[in-house]
Amino acid sequence: MTEIPEAFSFSHTKQPSGGVHDGVVTDVLCPFCGCLCDDIKVTVTAGTITGVENACTLGAQKFLADTGRLPKPIRRDEDGWHEISYDEAIEYCVEILKNANRPLLYGWSSSLTEAQAIGVHIAELIGGVIDSTSTVCHGPSILAIQEVGHPGCTLGQVKNRADVIVYWGANPTDAHPRHMSRYSTYVDAYFMHNSFRDRKIIVVDVRRTATADIADEFLQITPGGDYALASALRAIVRGRDDVVPAEVSGISKVQMMQVAEMLKNAKFGAVFFGLGVAMTRGKYKNVRNAIELVDELNRFTKCTITAMRGHWNVYGSNEVFTWISGYPYGIDYSRGIAYYNPGETTSADLLARREVDAAVIVGSDVGAHFPRACCEHLASIPTVLIDPYPSATTHLSTVQIPTAVNGIDAEPGTAYRMDGIPLQTRQVLPCTTHFTDYEIFSRIYARLKEEKGA
Amino acid sequence: MMRVTLTMKPRSNPFLPIEAEQIIPENFIGSRQVMVYEGNKEHSLLNICVIRRDGNVNTPENVSLILRGDWSRVKRVGEYMSSGTIVVEGDIGMHCGNFMRAGKIEIRGNADAWLGREMRGGVIVCHGDAGDYCGSGYRGEKRGMRGGSIEVMGNVGEFAAEYLTGGSVAVHGNAGCFAGVEMRGGYLTIDGDAILPAANMVAGECVVKGRVLEMVPTFERVGEENGMIVYHGDIANRGKGRLIVRSTSRTE
Repeated sequence: MTEIPEAFSFSHTKQPSGGVHDGVVTDVLCPFCGCLCDDIKVTVTAGTITGVENACTLGAQKFLADTGRLPKPIRRDEDGWHEISYDEAIEYCVEILKNANRPLLYGWSSSLTEAQAIGVHIAELIGGVIDSTSTVCHGPSILAIQEVGHPGCTLGQVKNRADVIVYWGANPTDAHPRHMSRYSTYVDAYFMHNSFRDRKIIVVDVRRTATADIADEFLQITPGGDYALASALRAIVRGRDDVVPAEVSGISKVQMMQVAEMLKNAKFGAVFFGLGVAMTRGKYKNVRNAIELVDELNRFTKCTITAMRGHWNVYGSNEVFTWISGYPYGIDYSRGIAYYNPGETTSADLLARREVDAAVIVGSDVGAHFPRACCEHLASIPTVLIDPYPSATTHLSTVQIPTAVNGIDAEPGTAYRMDGIPLQTRQVLPCTTHFTDYEIFSRIYARLKEEKGA
Repeated sequence: MMRVTLTMKPRSNPFLPIEAEQIIPENFIGSRQVMVYEGNKEHSLLNICVIRRDGNVNTPENVSLILRGDWSRVKRVGEYMSSGTIVVEGDIGMHCGNFMRAGKIEIRGNADAWLGREMRGGVIVCHGDAGDYCGSGYRGEKRGMRGGSIEVMGNVGEFAAEYLTGGSVAVHGNAGCFAGVEMRGGYLTIDGDAILPAANMVAGECVVKGRVLEMVPTFERVGEENGMIVYHGDIANRGKGRLIVRSTSRTE
């Protein structure tokens, strides 16, 4: 059970509790993607970040282009946006949540696990639905894992042992730029003599990406052909290539046979799959088929499979939600007990069906990523956005509460890497202007308990 | 015979889902109060609909429930139903006939997703279209529908009859992607077209009388029956099911 603090007082200025005004902070955890690179070196000069070492372009920009933050909470009325205090913003949030019939708490992947835990308790208290960005990301991968299990491992195992790497429906060069240099293609392996030259890279994608350009084998499949290709490879691996047609999903049988042979002859194979598998036609069935291919390969060699989780602490949200409610995302507490059914209790579905009558969006940009019908409904109901920066979702909201940025000026906490490893964040800058999402949710939870008499 | 007519009242927020698993024939014998959840609030059924009883009986086999008005947002009607009949005059919400064991549900409009989920017995007839996961299992469940029959006069969505283990599902229209995926037994018949039917099946029989617009490549052609092509599979899954199709885009 997560320890929940007493309500913070928001009537005073936040006291600085860490970070440096001048100096260098080492071993910083990157706050961008699911790789959670933990070797970042940040230089701070006069309270401003002036240098970042080891990070990729995306991660470095997160530190260096940290501008445009909302200075204070804002509320919209008929005259436009007005600044309000943290206390007023939190009271508004409590007011819309306490009597809502179908409240939704969505986002959470930019939050620390400590804040995520409080979110689950709030959802349970108000009989709401709590959902993370998994719902528009690797949610189908979790469904597949629930069906057939997960032959996985840590990225450290891949780094030190894997001699055949498969990127399927994923383009780490653009989306996870340091994945290949820290964990797979280019990194030195403890158990290989000449890892860079000995490794074989296989890429499966619908288009020739920058990752495909460095592949030893590139399988350019037809869109939506992932399931059929995985089935064909499974049949070939188990020696039933006689049933496989001459071409499947645009790939010749000859190439499929070559790839199957490479995989079977690997000393240690590692498959990484992205949303090109999980979010195309077939969704979780594609992932399930890929997992069953890996199962089949384990009759010949060691092989593992890992999802390329994108959003920073999205894995943490699945962990936290599961250890409290039993389910990883899309959890409906409307009847007092946890119920889970993606497609029914997930955010996009709830919003598209216009079920939700109050929403809190946490560190996520629904306005930029959800279908139009969902955004239209969100704009028609009381919506609170808890996010450091203005975004497309700001325009759908009635109140926005800015927070400190986790991994930059928020107090240290826990986040999970894409392979399920929990890591501690570091605080780079002192913060005197913004409360953390953990502090804000602690306050909201305490006030809701008072209102509900819980 | 007792006929109970439930007429939906106008609602201030018609989009709010109602969970009404207590709407089964046996609960309308006597004076038992039937409760439903509207969002996260529990109400008496009387708050959302007008109830009219004609006749009086002692056994649920002789109870017929008539659902009138807009029931398209009402979930779980007929859950664990074991006798009697339910007639829905319009559309019905998700999970109608979940775990149903006996009796009959007739839907004169469309049914939302998860119609007859993990059904054990009884009959469901849907005169319109059915949504995704018609006759399927719950998330992570290894066995879906195990008995009884579902007949859909229109089309069905994706993943129809997923994990079908027993009983029969008949679709007179088209099926979306992955009808009969992971089949463990039972019979699935699709009169219209289908995409990637019976993928990863282990056992059972899937018949597609229309066109198979895309076919899983790991089925083994074993012959012809009554002018239709018979395949065994899914070989990728060491399956021994039967997929019978009239025509397919697959080139051997």
